[in-house]
Amino acid sequence: MLEITDIVTSYGKIEALKGVSLSVAPGKITCLLGPNGAGKTTTMMTVAGLLKPRRGNIAFEERNITGRDPGHIVQSGIALVPENRLVFPDMTVHDNLRTGAYSRSDDEIEDDIARMFERFPRLHERQEQHAGTLSGGEQQMLAVARALMARPKLLLMDEPSLGLAPLIVEEIFRIIRDLNAEGTSIFLVEQNVHQALKVAHYFYLLEQGRVTFGGSPGDLEEDEVIQRAYLGSAEQT
Amino acid sequence: MEFVDYLQAVTDGVMQGAYYALIGIGFTLIFGVMNKINLAYAAAAFGGAYASLGVAALIGTGDDFGLPPLIMFLVSAIAAGLFAWIVYTICFRFTPDHYELATLMATVGAFFLIEEIAVHSTAGEPMDFPEVLQGIVDDPMIEFSDAFAIRGDLLTIFLLALIAMGLLLMLLYRTKLGLATRAVAQQRTAAQLCGISVDRTNATTFIIAGVLGGLAGAMIGAAVGVLSPLLFVPLTVKGLIVTVIGGLGSIPGAIVAGLLVGGLENVFLALRGITERDMYVMLLLFLFLAFRPQGLFGKKAVRD
Ligand SMILES: Nc1ncnc2c1ncn2[C@@H]1O[C@H](COP(=O)(O)OP(=O)(O)OP(=O)(O)O)[C@@H](O)[C@H]1O
Ligand SMILES: [Mg+2]
Repeated sequence: MLEITDIVTSYGKIEALKGVSLSVAPGKITCLLGPNGAGKTTTMMTVAGLLKPRRGNIAFEERNITGRDPGHIVQSGIALVPENRLVFPDMTVHDNLRTGAYSRSDDEIEDDIARMFERFPRLHERQEQHAGTLSGGEQQMLAVARALMARPKLLLMDEPSLGLAPLIVEEIFRIIRDLNAEGTSIFLVEQNVHQALKVAHYFYLLEQGRVTFGGSPGDLEEDEVIQRAYLGSAEQT
Repeated sequence: MEFVDYLQAVTDGVMQGAYYALIGIGFTLIFGVMNKINLAYAAAAFGGAYASLGVAALIGTGDDFGLPPLIMFLVSAIAAGLFAWIVYTICFRFTPDHYELATLMATVGAFFLIEEIAVHSTAGEPMDFPEVLQGIVDDPMIEFSDAFAIRGDLLTIFLLALIAMGLLLMLLYRTKLGLATRAVAQQRTAAQLCGISVDRTNATTFIIAGVLGGLAGAMIGAAVGVLSPLLFVPLTVKGLIVTVIGGLGSIPGAIVAGLLVGGLENVFLALRGITERDMYVMLLLFLFLAFRPQGLFGKKAVRD
């Protein structure tokens, strides 16, 4: 579904991604794990079109989307739930969701908002509240709902459990499973290795801008994944 | 001065404050969306007013087949919107975003460019602005007593400004364009992820601000009776003061601060005369910066 081939993305002179290749299969949950600064967010932002790769190729459903602008990419069916949620703080919950549907021009937007409120009852209660006044967990739900308002075929999620209480983390992962069961493909960046390996069909390890492993959750011991996802491997140069 | 004189001064001032409010809204809109100051804003707004003079000179004003008075405001608004877009393209579109000073200095340059064009094309002389308001209203319109009356020309300006502000708020809160504008102002990255073009939103914000400025420019022309490049600096400074007192980025703040500055300024004028008036307005600014730097409606601290 999503094919990333040998992409290099840099910030000025610093190469954050040094030739990353990976693929996301349709209907599956694919996880990207790795230590801080490995380039996970950079990968997500490059796919979403916020950063332009210096080299390499990104294809979505066989179509080349390399270097296209974010508006084009969201319209082609990829939506990103960004790191740190980035809700619109002085907009109501309802307007945040309407903004999520900005790329659409059909007349089912309000119906979809109603569906989001069924899925996230806590957002329903707070629909007229400004997003900046929501709790961290509620903001994360809103960020997910906002991305879903674009009706994506592939949902990118960058550390959705970051900084949340264990119960909320459980809830987020339940939602990820539900969405996937309903047919949305998911590409997830996580620091919570234990939970990630539980939901993933496939996962990649990213270390210092390079993919160092790709396989199914049974293929590596969880301890080793944790070791490499938090600290990076010893043999890495 | 008696109480009724103060009342008269405040009333006139608040109504004149409407154009300060419009100019303040322009600065604050642009700041809200781009986090940048456009110092050429008021100059471009007067550019619109001059353009309306040009059009009036071509086809005349008044009763027989001339430009109907209110059309002057419309022409000025449209022309200023166009100039604002040109300023955006020159000073912001192609100027590196991450050097704050680059865009700021570019707008200083644009200010002087517009000012020079105005000076050269009018030989530096003030231009008479047609008495567009006299055609529509009595002056004074409502006379309460010998000492107190509501001036028809100022009331017209005030009501026009209120209509423009109402339309702006509807645009911002009731349309998809407004949703995009607010999104870019609040979280630029997320706005892009939702498919909103930041560049297009910035450009439209400049145009909307420009239209409001053009309206203010024509109002000032109509209220003062003349247009002169000598107005550019004072109105830029007034607009910035209103923006700061209202709270950077706050539209309600700019409205309230505009009317407040207008009202107080007229009291200072009545008490101390034209030469000292602006000193007290500046004093007001310093009081705000010292004791309420976030302004009337601004956010207390910056968020990331
Ligand atoms: N805006 C930026 N300017 C310069 N360098 C950056 C920028 N953003 C990220 N980097 C660098 O790029 C590298 C990859 O960063 P990235 O944010 O992609 O890592 P990450 O894997 O998402 O880390 P984390 O787990 O902490 O979120 C890091 O070395 C980082 O310092
Ligand atoms: Mg990250």
